[in-house]
Formats: sequence, C-alpha cells, structure tokens
Amino acid sequence: MFDPYYLQQLAIGLSQGVIYALMAIGFTLIFGVLNVVNFAHGEIYTLGAFVGLLVITALAPPLLVVVLVVAAVGAAFGVGLERIAFKPFRRFSDEASLKSRAMRESTLMSSLAVSIVAREGLELAFGSQMQTLPFDQLINKPIALGPITIVTGDVIIFAVAAVMLIGLQWLLTRTRVGLAIRAVSANPLGAKYVGIDTDRTIILTFAIGSMMGAAAGVLVGLYYGAIFPAMGFVPGIKAFVAMVMGGLSSIPGAVICALLLGLSEGLATTFISSNWADMVAYGFLIVTLIFFPQGLFGAGRERV
Amino acid sequence: MTLIRRTFIGLALAAPVLFVASADAADAIRLGYQLPLTGNTAQYGQDFKTAAEIALDRFNASGRLPVKVEIVYEDSRSDAKEGVAIARKFVDDEKIVGVLGDFTSGVSIAAAQVYKEAGMPQLSQTASHPDFTKISEWQFRNITTQAGEGPYNANWILSKGYKKVAVIAEQTDWGQSVVQYFAAELAAKGGTVVFTEFFNRGLPDFRALITKIQRDKPDAIYTGFFYEDGANFLKQAKQLGVTTPIFSTSAAHNQKIVELAGADAEGLSLTTNFLPNSPRPEVKNFVDAWVKARGAEPGQFPAQAFDAVNIMLDAVVKTYPKTTRASVREALAATKDFPGVTGLTTFDANREPQKQLSKARVIGGQFTAVSE
Repeated sequence: MFDPYYLQQLAIGLSQGVIYALMAIGFTLIFGVLNVVNFAHGEIYTLGAFVGLLVITALAPPLLVVVLVVAAVGAAFGVGLERIAFKPFRRFSDEASLKSRAMRESTLMSSLAVSIVAREGLELAFGSQMQTLPFDQLINKPIALGPITIVTGDVIIFAVAAVMLIGLQWLLTRTRVGLAIRAVSANPLGAKYVGIDTDRTIILTFAIGSMMGAAAGVLVGLYYGAIFPAMGFVPGIKAFVAMVMGGLSSIPGAVICALLLGLSEGLATTFISSNWADMVAYGFLIVTLIFFPQGLFGAGRERV
Repeated sequence: MTLIRRTFIGLALAAPVLFVASADAADAIRLGYQLPLTGNTAQYGQDFKTAAEIALDRFNASGRLPVKVEIVYEDSRSDAKEGVAIARKFVDDEKIVGVLGDFTSGVSIAAAQVYKEAGMPQLSQTASHPDFTKISEWQFRNITTQAGEGPYNANWILSKGYKKVAVIAEQTDWGQSVVQYFAAELAAKGGTVVFTEFFNRGLPDFRALITKIQRDKPDAIYTGFFYEDGANFLKQAKQLGVTTPIFSTSAAHNQKIVELAGADAEGLSLTTNFLPNSPRPEVKNFVDAWVKARGAEPGQFPAQAFDAVNIMLDAVVKTYPKTTRASVREALAATKDFPGVTGLTTFDANREPQKQLSKARVIGGQFTAVSE
C-alpha cells in the first residue's frame, strides 16, 4: 500500500501548482502570447485582492459576485495600465519604430515603474502589514478525502483555472478576436496592413489578462486569508518561470509547468527541506533554459 | 569704505540673531533612531516610531530636563548598507549623544561597526543575535535573547510532560539561535528533538512542512517565527487537523497573530515579558496612549521600543548637563531595575538586559498569563 503521507504531499504540491497556474494564465496571455513585456501583472493581482477586501467588507456578497466584481475592476486596471505604461511607446507608427526592439522592450521599465507606484500607494493607503479578510468568507474549509485533506479553495481554484484555460484556448484558436491577438503578436506591422485595429486588440488583451490576474489575486487572498501590498511579487516570479519553461507563447504549456513547479516544490520539502524548495524551482528554470531554449512546449520565437 | 561699513552694520544686526539661533540649537539634546519605515519590515519600524513618539512626548512634557530632547528618525529599510550609511550620518552629527535601533540583528550589527569606531552608544530594542552586544562596549539591547528564552521554554514544555518535540524556525541567524538554545536544554533535561527544519521567511504555504512534522508524531511543536508566518502556520495546521500543542517565542507575541489567524490561534503558548492587559499602572498608561494612536493593543516589540527609548532618556537625565556620548554610555551601563512596561530591566556586565520572563497562552482571543 502506498503511504498516504506521500499522497498528502502530492496533493499539497498539486494545489500549490494550481495556484501558480492561476496566476500564470493571465500573465502568459499578455507577456507571452501578445509578446509585450509587462512586469506590472503582480500588482494587478495585489490590487485585485485589495479590491476584493473592499467589496467583501462593504457588501459581503457571495463568492461568485466578489470574483466577478473584482474581475471587472481588474479589466479596468488593465486598460489603465496599458494607457499609462504601454500606449505612449506606440505613438510612432512608422515601420522602424514598430520593428524596434528598444521601443518594445522599454515597457519593461515603464511597467516596472507603474508596479512600484501601485505597490507603494497601497502601502500608504493600507499599511504594509498583513490584512485579514473576513473569516466566514475564506475558502479554506478542510475536506477529507480518505487519508488526505484538501480545502474548499483547492477545488474552487482548480475549477476557475480550468475555466480560464479552456476559455482562453477557445478564444485564441476559434474566434476572430483570438486570431487578431495572434496576428498582432506575430507581426504588428503586418497585422496593421491587413486591417486589424492593433490598438484595440492590445487593449482588449490587457483587459482580459488583467481580469484574470485580479481574480487570481482575490482567490489566493481568500485561500490564505491574508493580503499585503507585496503579495504579488513571489507569485509573479513563479508565473514568469512557468511561462518561460512552458515556451513563452503557450498557455497550456505555462499551466503544465506551473503544476510541475508546485509539485517539485512540494517534493523538495518532502525529501530535502523547505528552504530548498525555491532553489529546486529556479533550478528547473535554469535547466530548461540550457537544454530547451525554446521552452518545453514552445514553438520557435526569436526572443526570450 | 562703504562696503566695509555695510558689512559691519550687517554683522552687528545679524549677531544677536545668530547667537540666539546657536544657543537654541545647543540646548536641545538629540538622539538618533534608525529603523525600517518602508519596505518589507516597515510595520515594525512604524510601531517603534509610534512607541518612541509616545515616550518622547511624555518626557518633554514632564520637564525632567530644562531642555528639550529630539529624536531624529532615519529609514534603514532593514538594509545593512542603508544602516551603515545612517550610522555614519548620526556619528557626524555632533549633537547626537545616543542611537536607538536598528530592528533586525543583521542591520544592527552592520551599523554597530560604525558606532564602535566612533564611540556612540547604541541601544537596539530587538536585535537578539548573541553576537550583537559582543561587538564592543557601546552596544546594548532591550530584548532577552534566545539564550534565555530557549532554555526557559524547554523547561516549560518538559514540565507539561512533553518529551518528543518538533522544532521549526525561520532560516535566519535569529531562527538558528532559537533552535540551538532550545535543543541544547531539551536534550540536557531528557527530552528529544524529533524533527528540526528551517523555512524561508514569508513562506505562504506551510502545509508540506506541517505534514512532515505530523509524520514524526511529536508531543509538542516549538516554533521560531514572527506573527505573519505564525498566523499562516497556525491556520494551515488547523486545516490539516493538527492538535499537537504549539509553543513559540516572544517574537510571535503580537495581537495581530490572533487577528490574522482568528480561532486557529487559540491555545498557542509563548513566553513574553509584556502583557497589555497587566494591571500595572505604567503598562496601562502606555497601552492607553498606544490604543489612542493606533486603535489596537501593542505587542511585545513596541513595548520593548518604548522601554528602550525611556532607558536612553533616563541615561540622558542622569548625565545632564555633562551629556556626552561617553557619559551616556556609562549611564546606560549602570542601568539597574529600570521600571518599564516590560518589567524591571538591569544591564549586566555584558550589556545584556536581565528581565523576568512569563508564560502566556491565547485563550478566548487574548494573550493571557498562565502559571504552570
């Protein structure tokens, strides 16, 4: 008989992986699929959690309503972020600017700047300490499945991540909007020449991705029961690692790699020690970059 | 000629103004406080600042000195490089006669090298690393170290009949000292440490670690964490159905842990030297002032900061009017039975505070003194 201890550890690792995946989906849509360097996704996630706190304390609505409201606000944040940090770099539409890597990658700094301002703003408004969400709203009630224990949040987060993943795959491969997103990502100039409204497509992608980021923030906040202004940093890094390992442009690839990351961290804690868990995760990133420069699931692209 | 005359007139007019200004500035005695006001540990620094402001306002209102005392606050962000830069700045300011802080042992030790060279008394409210006060005769602290707390807790746990103890602590110098002193005493008194592991500070998910602890079936769990990690740990332990009693150090003594973990914090046992619901008048006064400023009860760290500032101010009073860095150091070293909110404080020959520890447990959402 397999020791239930290992089953429990696998379950915990998987649930960690699902949490990373939830963050990685929106992140990969903007950063990987649309091919726009965006380092403010972690703050969208944090903002989502804080908006969730405000909505819950003000109205105490059921969970589904909270997530929908936060997603809507997240979409608005996404549009705002795009307007402040990305739009100004697209004001020249001549061929040289559109092809320029420097123009494209300067959003690295502008998005980072927005993220710092957002984080410090939250610290000023809410303080840097952890805030608790109302206990009766948390999604961490234990569920016993034979010898192993999971919590309600594991099921909810898994379901939400699955819906996001399937929805996005459908959007990207079966709709005209998805076609436009892929066209803009492959060749912005070409997309423009064939009559795609590139600005609208980019704004829409930001709205969708940020919507997912904000929803992820509030769900993870409710899962752990604590939110704080710096909470987006570590998940942001993990999502980035999952995206790069998954081959940048592949959302299913990022999800699978997020699950792998969670599992490997769980197993590292089980067999080595908890403080080596991060090392294992980042070790995977280095191994992937050395042996699979295109990522595990990626098609070729010229840039990492 | 006119130029010279104008200059003279100008000087004559300016002279009284200059004189008054310099006399005013010379009168005020200045202290430095280096602490994290932004960054990851900002919440602690903000607490220290509030505590220091309460102490200073009271002191200046009491008229114990004919001159005012000022405190200069500098933000170290809990960064050792910043800490050293601030230390240089404080040392260069001739009017500063003593320094409080920093928050973490790491930054305090880094800054201490500067204070050692320059001969500036430094009193940290929280630096508990054993090496801190060994740096030079200028370093003092107002926190009992794990050398005192670890054995105290080991004996407490053994007296409850728990022999097999699992120990976890954060992966820092401080966390290492939590494990080291506790394990040594426990082994010496016939108990066994069945499990030891360190975790990275800020770990959101302790479940894999908790599952691992459960596998070794300890009688009790001893933990070295601060309240944020503590709250996560307690919540997730409850989720996984852990019923083993959990013990901790005074670092986890903060009402926030109850706020964050709610009912899951129930039964957490720890040592402390400050209980906000103590009936002693000085404690009540401080807690009232704190609640007015912050809205919630203070934890152990703000209380230590409050006492540290008062001990420093007391040293200034004792040396006045011959207040210099050296005389303040002498006065600090001579501190004996200082009545603070964290009990009576005496500095021993190694500039370590001797304080009375007491036992507390979370009962009904409150840290309650227990005698067992």
